[in-house]
This record gives sequence, structure tokens and C-alpha cells, in this order.
Amino acid sequence: MIVYILMIVTILGAVLALMQRDLLKAAILTGVPGASIAFLYQYLLAPDVALTQAIVGSAIIPVFFALAVYKTRRVEE
Amino acid sequence: MIIDVQLASLFTAVALIVIGIFAAVFLDNLIKKVIGLAFIGDGVNLFLISMGYKAGGIVYIYLPGMAADWFAQNAAYPLPFALVLTSIVIGASTMAVMLGIIIVLYKKRGSISASKILGE
Repeated sequence: MIVYILMIVTILGAVLALMQRDLLKAAILTGVPGASIAFLYQYLLAPDVALTQAIVGSAIIPVFFALAVYKTRRVEE
Repeated sequence: MIIDVQLASLFTAVALIVIGIFAAVFLDNLIKKVIGLAFIGDGVNLFLISMGYKAGGIVYIYLPGMAADWFAQNAAYPLPFALVLTSIVIGASTMAVMLGIIIVLYKKRGSISASKILGE
């Protein structure tokens, strides 16, 4: 049952991240599919990959996008 | 409708790859193109991990007291798990290089829209 919830959260987070006009919101919403994919790795019997994905996918990648948005412009033209 | 963990993971991987290809081809903003490429990488990693899954199996850690034959029959296939661990980190670092190129392009051209940079 929890696998359906993770599947829906992953796809919905990916679509919502690409629909935002404010790029900082898009950068933060990029972390939502990364975190739910980390939970999905735990259910697929891969706990070491889940640890790496939880750090890289939900913390480091949104920070990279936020830094790039800070150095360029915030609103999509 | 009852589907198991492996089939749900495959659906999620295919959906992520389709969303990523759509974003990388049809969206105009360069940062959103890079977000789409990151989604393609996540989808491919999820596909490889779900290929190694074994239904009703155990995590591939050999504890004392397990028989070797029983462990070989029930543990999940560990080779894609060891290699996807590398692929996640390489994907993050290549994405950092792409974002650096976008920052340099913004300083030279003053825009992050692909159609404005190409002059169309």
C-alpha cells in the first residue's frame, strides 16, 4: 500500500517541479521525488543505495539548483 | 488492482524518464532542462535497482548462522546495487558542471532562456 503512495508522490512531485514559474520553488520541489525514491529503494532491498540517495537526492541537488538560481535570475521569462 | 513492489517501481521509472525527456526537449528555461535531465538519471537508476529485486527475498548481508545455499537462493542480486551507488554520485557531479556552464552563459548573454540565447 505504501508503494502506491510513494509512486504517486514521486510522479506528482516531478510534474509540480516542472510547472512552477518561480525557479526557487522548482528547485525545492526537486527534492520531493529524490526523497520518495530513497524510500522506494528501501522497499526494494537496497538500504545502502537508499542512504546515498537520501543525502544526494533530497539535500545536495536542491542546494545546487538553489545556488544556480541565486547566481542567475529567479523568475522564468 | 494488486501490483507488487517491482512492477510499481518499473512504472515509476518509466514515468520519470518520460517526464524528463519532455522537460529536456520542450521546455524553454535552461534550469528546467537540467531538472529534466536529473529526472532521467533518477529513472534509469530506479529501473536498474528494480531489476535486481527478488520478491520475498532478504537484504544481501551475510550474517553468522546463515547457510550459504539458502543465502544464495534468497538474497537480492547485489551487482546493480553496488554500481548504482556510483552512478548516483556521478550524476550529481555532472549536474553541478551543467549548472556552472549555465551561470557562465548567463554572465555572457544575460538570459537563461534557450530561444533568446539562440536568437530566435
